Amino acid sequence: MQPDPLSSTFAALADPTRRAILARLALGEASVKDLSSPFDMTQPAISKHLRVLERAGLIEQGRNAQWRPRRLRAEPLREVADWVSQYRRHWEESFERLDAYLREVNAGQEQGHGDDDDIDANRPG
Amino acid sequence: METTMTSTRIDRGSTPTTTIYSDGTDLVFERTFDAPREQVWKAFMDPTLVPRWWGPHGTTTVVAEMDVRPGGKWRYVSSAPDRDDVAFFGEYLEIDPPERFRWTFLFDVPGMGTQGGPETHVFADVDGRTRITSTSHMGSSEAIDGALASGMVRGALETWDRLATLLAER
Repeated sequence: MQPDPLSSTFAALADPTRRAILARLALGEASVKDLSSPFDMTQPAISKHLRVLERAGLIEQGRNAQWRPRRLRAEPLREVADWVSQYRRHWEESFERLDAYLREVNAGQEQGHGDDDDIDANRPG
Repeated sequence: METTMTSTRIDRGSTPTTTIYSDGTDLVFERTFDAPREQVWKAFMDPTLVPRWWGPHGTTTVVAEMDVRPGGKWRYVSSAPDRDDVAFFGEYLEIDPPERFRWTFLFDVPGMGTQGGPETHVFADVDGRTRITSTSHMGSSEAIDGALASGMVRGALETWDRLATLLAER
């Protein structure tokens, strides 16, 4: 069974070396040699990380056959960003609405409804 | 594999009213409401009140199921003019009125299966006001943390957006 795209993106991102590689590629395409230079790692080790990123669709190889630069692909990152922002939007805006609702209830009480109607009205039993 | 004790709070774009940050695998929302705790608790637990506030602006919510007890199921259907209805659903894991509850918060994403995970909501009394700390335990969010923290995603997306705009202009 094919893992869902978001899961393979998360799995690929769940490694600091791979995130650093992506951060580097966000600046522009780079060769495997360029990508390995900041790390205390062999090129085969870096290549392994690159394969994971490639499988997740986060990077691709450029056309230059000799140099074979890697470059970043936007789509999976956009999915992750969308996913987080969905959560963010949901709770942030729900809280705004909750705040407005609670103010409304309290304003009603201060205007002399006088008791705990709003709190107890729906108590079961 | 070495374990590092990193309590890495990373701000996720807090607003003047709401603190939003991630910490490890958690995404946390914190806001203080000018209302007593019982009232805030009730807004979460009363099916007639949930539709008054639940969901982003412009959405309406129908409470389809709400069995508030450990093991009980919940299901809210959210409607908006610009999209298909989305069902949010899950199970209550722990109910401790009016202080905290845990539930699973799930939703189906077409083509991606069911997403989401457990959430913990804590209601703290702060001099008669109520501070809610809502934590989404996202499991994989270390990945998101690193990615978003580096500014990479936003930077890259904005760059590409601008590029797309530029290309569209030509």
